Amino acid sequence: MVEYQLLRAHSLEEVLEILAEKKKVQILAGGTDLLVDLHQQDPKFENIDYLLDITDVAELKGIKLGPEEGEIGALTTHAELLSSPEIKEKLPFIGAAASSIGSTQIRNRATIGGNLVNAAACADSFSPLIALGAELVLRNKGGARRVLLEDFVEWPNQTVLKDNEVLEKIVFKMPQGKYYSSYQKIGRRNAVSISRLSLTLLAEVENEAIKNIQVVSGAATPAPVPFREVNKYLDAKDFAEIDPAEAGEIAADEMVGITGERWSTPYKRPALSKLVERAVKDLLEEAGYNG
Amino acid sequence: MAKLEVEITVNGEQHKLKVGSQERLLDTLRDKLKLTGTKEGCSVGECGACTVIVDDQAVNSCLVLTAQVDGSEIITVEGLESKSGLHPLQKAFIEKQAVQCGFCTPGMLMSALALLNTNPTPTKEEIKTALEGNLCRCTGYQQIIDAVEMAAEEWGV
Repeated sequence: MVEYQLLRAHSLEEVLEILAEKKKVQILAGGTDLLVDLHQQDPKFENIDYLLDITDVAELKGIKLGPEEGEIGALTTHAELLSSPEIKEKLPFIGAAASSIGSTQIRNRATIGGNLVNAAACADSFSPLIALGAELVLRNKGGARRVLLEDFVEWPNQTVLKDNEVLEKIVFKMPQGKYYSSYQKIGRRNAVSISRLSLTLLAEVENEAIKNIQVVSGAATPAPVPFREVNKYLDAKDFAEIDPAEAGEIAADEMVGITGERWSTPYKRPALSKLVERAVKDLLEEAGYNG
Repeated sequence: MAKLEVEITVNGEQHKLKVGSQERLLDTLRDKLKLTGTKEGCSVGECGACTVIVDDQAVNSCLVLTAQVDGSEIITVEGLESKSGLHPLQKAFIEKQAVQCGFCTPGMLMSALALLNTNPTPTKEEIKTALEGNLCRCTGYQQIIDAVEMAAEEWGV
């Protein structure tokens, strides 16, 4: 039986106090994944004593984008991300990822922090934030520590977040200069769709060359990681030297190198290769390079 | 487990309730307040049959604990009709034959209402996005989209 006492916190201080004092506490944010599991009496939650609802904690909400640095509160909903004019203007790929999640009803409740802490292999929020080099601020009563997002997930649904910690916010450096970004997702249908694959490409561009690039995929590997080989291939390269198809092949090789041959490989290998190829082609086209 | 006291406003009426820590808003509406217009379909947030409006936003009432919406204002399908008659959305659904078996209709109406409350002149794409979390196995959706378009036109006048 899953049984728990429900606690509601109204400030970050209260959250940290409860996490410090009590054991076996499960935090509840948007609840769009967790409440399904609890309602279905998922045995994974049989050992919780408390469900701590933090949806009322104002300090954990909001988007702040400065000229150098940006931060997104853990309780910011996907609906808030996709309707934010600031996100649309400065980090459109984050808005694109948010709009691809669930349905209007889900996006109204589900939070970016919940998506990260839940850490499903198909979670859509990872790849755009890893591409940004984002760090997570994890706080307990004693203070806060920062963890690089790409080091946060150990295995699907398993993160380095400790029992007495809460994810407070996501912090990152704003992309500088002229940059290009794209977010793509393949699912079985257009809406209310779980990612089969997703991809973020973020590149700084200067004088018909790539200055800095991050290609990160979601749902391709157990824990989302940047594709280092693709990044190495594309980084600091003149447009004329880039073969988008080759970049796609390198990414596909890298994915299979991590996952090994799996039942889904015959589908995911060519699909990822094409996603990367398309993203690179789009970049060259948008940057006005005609080959 | 101890019950929690909550105060919610549903369709303009205030309620003080004692709710369980696992009680979903859907359960409270249907079982305690007997507002059975809100339907339980999939119970996992995919079908949208349980959609209600909480503080101006469409949400799946199967994915919210009642204790979480303490102090909130909730609108269910029963809140649409007024003394002056059916709501323009309800009239449009009838006019455009957007109801067949009717199970999805309350959720569809709530998603449509949440949209028109914030965006009275939606495009067809915006209507589709607003309704993408509501499944209908009868109509094929076209009549529903037509009905929301019609309601937007009539309501806007």
